[in-house]
Amino acid sequence: MNILNPLALLFALLAVPIVLLYLLRLQRREQSVSSTLLWRQSTLDREANALWQKLRPNILLFLQLLTLAFLVFALIRPYINQPGQTPARTIVLLDASASMLAEDVPPTRFSAAKKQVSNLIDDLGANDQLALILMGASPRALSGFSASKAELAAALDAAQPALEAANWGAAISLAQAIAQGDENTAFVVVSDGANADDAKLLTGNVKFIPVGANGENVFISAFTVRRTVRGLAAFVRVNNSGKSAASVLVSLRSGDALLDARTLDVPAAGSATWTQNDLDPALPHLTARIDQTPNAAQDNLAADDAAYAINPVTSIRRALLVTRGNRFLEQALGALPGLQVTRVVPSVDGLTAGQDLSGAVYDLIVLDNITATLPSNANVLMIGAGAQFSSTGVFSNTGFVRAEASPIAQNVDWRGVNVLEAQHLAPPAWLQPVIQAQGGGLVFAGDGASAGLGRVVALPFDLFKSDLPLQIAFPVLVANSVDWLSPAQGLALPASVKPGEVIALPGGSQVVLPAGASMAAPDGVFADTAQPGIYAVQTPRGRGYFAVNFLDARESDTTPQPNLQFANANAQTQTAQGLSQRELWNILAALALVLLTIEWWVYQRGLRTRKA
Amino acid sequence: MLSESFLKSLVGLRLASTRRQRGALMGERRSARRGRSIEFADYRNYTPGDDPRRVDWNIYARHEKAYIKLFEDEEDTAVSILLDVSKSMRWMAEDETAPQKMERAAEIALSLAFIALSGGDRLVMELSSGARIGPRRGAGAMAHFASAVSRELARADATSMPINTWLRRYAATSPPGMCFVVSDLLDETGYQDGLNVLATSRAEVSVVQTLCPDELAPRFEGDVRLKDVETGAARDLSMDNATLRDYAQRLKIFTDEAQAFCQRRGGRYFLADTSQSTGDIVARDLRRQGWIV
Repeated sequence: MNILNPLALLFALLAVPIVLLYLLRLQRREQSVSSTLLWRQSTLDREANALWQKLRPNILLFLQLLTLAFLVFALIRPYINQPGQTPARTIVLLDASASMLAEDVPPTRFSAAKKQVSNLIDDLGANDQLALILMGASPRALSGFSASKAELAAALDAAQPALEAANWGAAISLAQAIAQGDENTAFVVVSDGANADDAKLLTGNVKFIPVGANGENVFISAFTVRRTVRGLAAFVRVNNSGKSAASVLVSLRSGDALLDARTLDVPAAGSATWTQNDLDPALPHLTARIDQTPNAAQDNLAADDAAYAINPVTSIRRALLVTRGNRFLEQALGALPGLQVTRVVPSVDGLTAGQDLSGAVYDLIVLDNITATLPSNANVLMIGAGAQFSSTGVFSNTGFVRAEASPIAQNVDWRGVNVLEAQHLAPPAWLQPVIQAQGGGLVFAGDGASAGLGRVVALPFDLFKSDLPLQIAFPVLVANSVDWLSPAQGLALPASVKPGEVIALPGGSQVVLPAGASMAAPDGVFADTAQPGIYAVQTPRGRGYFAVNFLDARESDTTPQPNLQFANANAQTQTAQGLSQRELWNILAALALVLLTIEWWVYQRGLRTRKA
Repeated sequence: MLSESFLKSLVGLRLASTRRQRGALMGERRSARRGRSIEFADYRNYTPGDDPRRVDWNIYARHEKAYIKLFEDEEDTAVSILLDVSKSMRWMAEDETAPQKMERAAEIALSLAFIALSGGDRLVMELSSGARIGPRRGAGAMAHFASAVSRELARADATSMPINTWLRRYAATSPPGMCFVVSDLLDETGYQDGLNVLATSRAEVSVVQTLCPDELAPRFEGDVRLKDVETGAARDLSMDNATLRDYAQRLKIFTDEAQAFCQRRGGRYFLADTSQSTGDIVARDLRRQGWIV
């Protein structure tokens, strides 16, 4: 037998005032007797302790205390398990969010939850079926309705939590889809109740099995690094979701090197911050870690004790855009990370055709239908390059033929691009077409060192005489051209992603995981980001880093919520094994009523005897 | 206190003595020493069983009625009836409609007194208040004794000696003969010393211990404060079955000890339940005990 409401045991303390009132109200009836001679002898033997004499078995007091005991037992809601009453179909929703990794319930809440589900599976009747849904960021069904305990157990074994918040809405939708509207299907939710705002979407016969003992956790809720004139500045915020203040030792590291450490006093349900300035600006990445708490019980989730940050981009490429106005081109250039674009408009800035730009010091010069004298070794993107190079005429059969294997043409889908007419360039030998049309080259690229230039990319047509700016190929072409003309000092990688998030990497990248293993990302996507930490990316164009951080304050607040609100107000919360409970409070209450009646009868009988 | 009809029912009864019964004078009146003196004392009606030699044939010849001559004994034996009128005897039970202990004890004592008087015995009655009534003899003295006892019982300022003191005092002045003690024997200072002295004063002591139903089988319940009417002492008790069983046990020991004490000293003992009628106690129970013939 188990109980649902152990706190009701406190009502047993009512026995104290009952006994006290009994003692206090003890009014002795004065009775004259002919002699106390024989009574005195009796009392001398028995009058050892006056207080105990008062408490000698009195049938009324006994009945009153027994009645109180039965009422208290009814209030604690004891129950017994009756497997015979298990619903025929049950869908179990198992919470696999990050908070389930908390260790307040050893070894982890998730292990305890799996044990509960395992008990449910064991209690299945011969004709009962159970389906199992794992509630993560992307809920999935571990098993459809199955009566096979072995199959269900195997599916359960495969369940693992993740450093992510559970998507309750999607999980409930999945469960209801599996239930197919069957009103006899019961839902069992096994969770700590954290971040369960959408739990109320679950309708029908719902039972909730809470796991989790306390919300004692300290965690890093924010970690950022920024560049200042004095170097790097790191900001760390530590939160405490427990009920008592915690004094934690927080360290800043770069790799294995310890940079600094600080003891932070974090109040209960509060936070503390630390800003560290004057860090070496050359550090590629930083790690903030909670190294120590005085009481291990105050930190029941280890996954949120560390955070990672990448040093922001160290250099900015400067580009000069000479154009009479081309919003598409400006936007495509402006979207490129690490590229600082300076625009000059010939009519406004006094730049005329043939303007001497030989004094311009830029990493990249973009000429939009402008001819100009270029500085030595300038990397140039020429649009409408017919004037800059010799042309033998124009052509209009600009249907796409092929793209060369060039980084400029990579991922540029020219199909569907229409060009009204293009200059038929007679380029120098070092300038080769990378995208060919039927009538001639549409995109040329080459190293113009022999011509006193840097790298050159040339488009022999006016963008306004084509729909290229309206195609997806345009920003890709611009990005490829800019990267080729002026490679970034670093790679355009996201600074931080969440665990499990998929990121795009340059083709041919090799990724070193935090644990040290190396993985390839040939297709330009990388999905093995489950482990928080610093990921090193090695590409043909250089080396870079990105961080995977579990920074989710809501999941890190591991305070369990034992009373979730579901759509059905009568949803039961159970804490024991088995799929069904038989509560006994009504029997106990009835017995208490019987005892009360007996107590009244005994009292009345006593009154009548005295009067007789 | 005693009705005429009840007294008539006692006529013909005699007080029997155990000491006479041990002798050879079976069928004699209790005070069998009478008749050995030459001093004429009184007449009484002939009852079957009397010695025919003691019949006054002169009266029979004249009146055709048989009378027995009574002569004074040289030792002057008498019947003493000691009635305890202490507060414990006067204690009123809760049920006031039931016969009270004092009233019943007084009726027992007066019944014995009537039997003694109608048997020609010289009677003395003494109450524990110190009041002595008599000595008188003859049935005609009954009214005197009854009224005197009634007056004493009605006294609001009545006091009572402890039993030991009372019995020792009486023993010092009592004539030899039969002595009946009607008491509940419930005295703080005990009763053994007094009875001892009385028994050794050549008096044949018979004790009628009168207890009422509330003393024989109290039915108190719950938490009570018992107050002794004689001493005023109080005792707080919680009545339960165990306490009542304990009291019953102690009462039995008390009464058994009293009986054994009397018998060891050649006396007699009878426990009278005052809820019984006086007729049942005197004419039935005491006759069965052999106290009355």
